[in-house]
Amino acid sequence: MNWLKIVAFAAVTVAVLPILFLLFEGLGPLRDPAGYGPQVFSSILLTIVSSAIAVGIEVVVFTPAAYYFARNPNSVLETVSDLPASVPHPIIGVALLLIDSPLTPTGKFLDSLGINFFDTLTGLVVALVVISTPVYIKAVEPFFASMNESHESFAKGLGASELRTYASVVIPNSLRGVLSASLISLSRSMSEFGSIAIIAYSVFSVYPAPVLIYQYFSSTGLSPAITASAVMILVGLALMAALRVVNAKLVIRP
Amino acid sequence: MIEAKVRKRLGNFQLDSEYKDSGFSLLSGPNGSGKTTFLSIIAGTLSPDEGFVKVGSVETTNLPIDKRKTVFVASGSYIPHLEVEKHLRWGAMVRKTRLEDSRVREVAESLGIHASGRVSELSLGTKGRVALATALLASPEVILVDEVFSGLDGRAGVLSAYVDLTKRARIDVIATSQDDAGFESVDHRYVISRGKTARVS
Repeated sequence: MNWLKIVAFAAVTVAVLPILFLLFEGLGPLRDPAGYGPQVFSSILLTIVSSAIAVGIEVVVFTPAAYYFARNPNSVLETVSDLPASVPHPIIGVALLLIDSPLTPTGKFLDSLGINFFDTLTGLVVALVVISTPVYIKAVEPFFASMNESHESFAKGLGASELRTYASVVIPNSLRGVLSASLISLSRSMSEFGSIAIIAYSVFSVYPAPVLIYQYFSSTGLSPAITASAVMILVGLALMAALRVVNAKLVIRP
Repeated sequence: MIEAKVRKRLGNFQLDSEYKDSGFSLLSGPNGSGKTTFLSIIAGTLSPDEGFVKVGSVETTNLPIDKRKTVFVASGSYIPHLEVEKHLRWGAMVRKTRLEDSRVREVAESLGIHASGRVSELSLGTKGRVALATALLASPEVILVDEVFSGLDGRAGVLSAYVDLTKRARIDVIATSQDDAGFESVDHRYVISRGKTARVS
């Protein structure tokens, strides 16, 4: 008997039990039409779109940082980059509020550029980038660290600069790692509540999905909140499954 | 001409080696004798504690790898996602060197490269041949080959072809091996033991 397999399956089952229970109740005995109305799907769409934009920004801006950390371990820089993930997330929301406040120099500067964080898509995306970037970096950095450096040394020996080696050798051979890390970061972004409840509670008069569920829970009732949660879980699962299939089919296997 | 006089300490191991030659040299020695360490210092992937490396009249000791005109070919020296044809031309493309189709064909034929497809999917031996060919076609001043010939079928034939090709291209080569079987066509022989090199011919 493979005891390791049994322990692994049991551990995962215990971890997802609350989710499974919620799915059962939300789509079964406690199903409420308000939980799968147009408002719910608008919220889910806003959450998916804003999370996807945040992940896109992370991939472009922070993949080089993750690669740098993998090749040049620096505990101080890495600790600093972990900060947003290690503080209570409402703090991130408050910090962004402060940065955007017209009472601060940064707020005045942003205002002069026409940039506003409060209850805007910009603010929502910025909050998601801040809280999920540490997750993205931590997920993709080990992939770079495990890559054979001989490929890069060979390319540099042939005359390729650091930047060219990164763009022409590292990235094409890291797509699997980058996509996997993106999926993890996307999951994290989609589930964020603490920071966005402060900085972007409502965007275009639509609540992000985690905020809507909280709204339902605190003012509308348990049944709509549970049903909306179940719907969001199903949509999230379908999205993740689809992306993993795409990841498996499209990525070069080195 | 490659000139190197370097010292490097790695744990309990002390490298204290000298080299000054042009042409095609064999550097042979047992495992742990310092062959890879010595080549890595010349290539720039490792910095010496003391000493210098010169390629021609240019001191390259503190130059970044991409500025040394020195290609290091070892196990793992290939760009996985490239197709063979593109891989062979990649170095020349980076260096903006003109490369005739006939030249690519000549080198590929001489080194017995008949495969196509992604380099990552090739056998170890074929990857080695592709890496050697790519390095040659990039027209560097120096090619350092770390044990790659050891894993090739028909080692003597490939080696003889590579000696001929690099000589005609005026590229200096240092190739390492644990033994000298098949290396009859080289210009010079060095041995390395416990971090110290000695020229034997």
